[in-house]
Amino acid sequence: MNRRELIALGLGSLLAACRQLRDTLTPEQRTAADAAEAAEPLGPIEKRLSIYNWSDYVAPDTISNFEKEFGVKVTYDVYESNEEMLAKLLTGATGYDLVFPSSYAVSVLKAVGIASPIHRQYLTNWGNIAPLFLDPPFDPGNAHTVPWQWGITGIAFRSDKVDAPDSWAVLQDARYRGKMTQMDDGRDVIGSWLRYRGHSLNSEDSDELAHAKLDAIAAKKNLKAYISAPVKGQLISGDVWIAQLWNGDATQAKVEQPNIAYVVPKEGCTIWEDSLVIPRSAPHKRAAHEFMNYILRPDVQATISDFTGYGTPNAAALKLMQHPVPYPTADELRRLELQVDLGRDTAVWDQIWTEIKSA
Amino acid sequence: MRRRLLAWLARRPEAEAWALLGPGTLWMIVFFIVPVVVMCAYSFMPRGTYGGVDPGFTLEAYARFLHPVYLVILERTFVIAVLTTAFCVLAGYPVAYAITRSGKWRTLLLFLVVLPFWTSFLVRTFAMIFLMRDTGLVNSWLMGLGIIKQPIEMLYTPFAVFAGLVYGYLPFLILPVYASLEKIDPSLLEAAEVLGAKPAARFWRVTLPLSGPGLVAGSLLVFIPALGSFLTSDLLGGAKGLLVGNLIQNQFSTARNWPFGSAASLILMTLVLVAALLYLRVGRERE
Amino acid sequence: MPRWLVAFTAIVLFLMHLPVLVLVAFSFNASKFSVNWTGFTLHWYQRLLEREDILAALRASLIVGVSATVIATAFGTLIALALARHRFRGRTLYEGLIYVPIVTPEIVTGISLLILFVFLRVPLGLGTIVIAHVAFSISFVVVVVLSRLAGMDETLEEAAMTLGADEITAFWKITVPLLWPGIISAALLTFILSFDDFVITSFVAGSGSSTLPLIIYSMVRRNVEPSINAISTVIVIGTSILLYVAEKLTRESA
Repeated sequence: MNRRELIALGLGSLLAACRQLRDTLTPEQRTAADAAEAAEPLGPIEKRLSIYNWSDYVAPDTISNFEKEFGVKVTYDVYESNEEMLAKLLTGATGYDLVFPSSYAVSVLKAVGIASPIHRQYLTNWGNIAPLFLDPPFDPGNAHTVPWQWGITGIAFRSDKVDAPDSWAVLQDARYRGKMTQMDDGRDVIGSWLRYRGHSLNSEDSDELAHAKLDAIAAKKNLKAYISAPVKGQLISGDVWIAQLWNGDATQAKVEQPNIAYVVPKEGCTIWEDSLVIPRSAPHKRAAHEFMNYILRPDVQATISDFTGYGTPNAAALKLMQHPVPYPTADELRRLELQVDLGRDTAVWDQIWTEIKSA
Repeated sequence: MRRRLLAWLARRPEAEAWALLGPGTLWMIVFFIVPVVVMCAYSFMPRGTYGGVDPGFTLEAYARFLHPVYLVILERTFVIAVLTTAFCVLAGYPVAYAITRSGKWRTLLLFLVVLPFWTSFLVRTFAMIFLMRDTGLVNSWLMGLGIIKQPIEMLYTPFAVFAGLVYGYLPFLILPVYASLEKIDPSLLEAAEVLGAKPAARFWRVTLPLSGPGLVAGSLLVFIPALGSFLTSDLLGGAKGLLVGNLIQNQFSTARNWPFGSAASLILMTLVLVAALLYLRVGRERE
Repeated sequence: MPRWLVAFTAIVLFLMHLPVLVLVAFSFNASKFSVNWTGFTLHWYQRLLEREDILAALRASLIVGVSATVIATAFGTLIALALARHRFRGRTLYEGLIYVPIVTPEIVTGISLLILFVFLRVPLGLGTIVIAHVAFSISFVVVVVLSRLAGMDETLEEAAMTLGADEITAFWKITVPLLWPGIISAALLTFILSFDDFVITSFVAGSGSSTLPLIIYSMVRRNVEPSINAISTVIVIGTSILLYVAEKLTRESA
């Protein structure tokens, strides 16, 4: 073979071997294959389990209690955003047995074929889940997910330092310049300003997005930083007075600083639901199912939600909780919106987020 | 057996060279050159919906980079890198010069410069956070002394990133400049003195030009990492400003746009190599 | 030396060390949040010992560091020997190319390796971290060992060979012992580079294979508490010791 042919062959095989991040089966084939797989039995409970979860999302003793009861050694890694978790899984990190994606992240995992079917036969505590959370739009029939916790992304604030805000507009208020933050997440920031103008936070309309971008940039002048969950420490210390934050994290911060309060802006915000998902490459699927069943126990779930401050989909647990977070009323639900996967429009949103960040 | 091998090698001097070079070179080819080639290929392919690439050929990644927002990021990164380098030169050159004149303190002073050079960059950046926070040391001192009433917002500003970069890379400039200053033949300066040149003139006309190679090397050692810096703006910038390094990192995590990230990486790498080549050109001329 | 220069140098050197000194000092502060000194304590160091994730990361960093150092030093020394002692076709080009990894921004190296591993479907883990660390360290070892070789006298080896030793014996009995301090120096510095690396490691680390810098980074991003100061102090002291030994070795044989 001469040199030119060699190069052509090389490039050809390069392109052909490119790992395409897309499910190899059609949706119908996938559903059938998953149903078949779900019916099969799994082996005995493995001795190890690798969990990849959000930070501050279980009670302090949840993991150690599980380890003791089942004799399983747990490795526990944390992430700060769906994107961080998705990036790891999509680049082939194969060691995780359990991840906790939000609604739209579940769609991404399913589209790429990474979500593995749940073997319901091992989840004896399944009946504890409130019907409201069964069969969610992002996972019909709960083929791949077990509901975990839900929450909202509103505004946490120091009631001793500022008047209670009621709108996203407070972020554009120069009175509190340098004392406010928004989450370091494009979907949350752009989403908040879309809601501000009465649009959907899953919008793909270029005019609506353009407005949201300008609003976000106007607010940015007053922001101390874009920072997610770690802002808790700064709310407690008083470095930050107003922060876009999840309700549970605000509740956790309140333990150390009673002057922290929480509000859902009148224009609305995100409501999210996180689920447990087992990646297809998980090495310890049986142990993962045992963990899922474990956290479905009312007492365990109650302890977790009491600590994290988030809502639980577990009806039986609600009765045991000391500070249950009530599910929003129909009226409140009108202002709250679930995030949906944007598909190819992710690139458009990302460009806007980059523009906001470099403004 | 040994003798035969040696005899065989003696007949082929190049073979011996390549036997030595072999393992390391192979490693570098597989784990340095090939990845860059694959990255290059990726930059010309269409973006996969959920990350990765789809087969095909397109220039859309590079075209996207021409959008003003990305050019602004590149420009801003360039400006910060230049400012950082300039400031490091202003602060570092005198120190290097002083060390050459320090006599018995020389070893100690050198160690004091080398130590930060080797201390973990992450640790040193965190040290800056610790100092600059609203509830950090500097603000506490200033407030305690009554100089200010409210904490100065130092962290999460462009100033913080700049300060972090200068602090991080200053040792990188001092060492090459020192090395080059040290090599200057003192008799040249004596000759200049004999010829009537005053101290200032001796510095500007003899010392400075002769320390040129070291100055250029040191500047490059600051400029290049500053251009590609990611950690400093990530930790000190409050996620409010993006440098090219952050942009690239973004494309492989949250944005999941691999072709665009690859294209940006290659653009950055090209700029860096051009800067390095310029140095070689200047360095050769001086010799 | 003019007095203003002395003062200037003193100030600059002081500022260069101040942040880390402060960091170390406050690792002994009893208060969790504030910068007011509330008392001396070793509590935060004790916390380090309790945290399994930090200990596991320390173990991982050490394993990676030693492995990468051994491999990179071996390969790099061989290359340096070839460059210093042999003529071969493409030598000038090679000499130029060896510097490319040193000037390449870490983020580019890290990303390109991630792309490669994903492309080859290699699972990310400690192994991929070692591979990455060796890749960026080899050039560095070459530069250090080369500079040592340049100062070395070949006549000793030639003398040995006229006395009847063959090349391999001359190599082991003369060259290596003379070169040894340079090799050890390069090894120590490579270890430090590997131990402290964050950017490249963050891209090629897999699940549960956190190294110490990765853990510190997530601690800095999440909850800032004096344990970070404590582990930072440990790293700084460790680095200083290694550096001191490396310097001693280079100085001794100079």
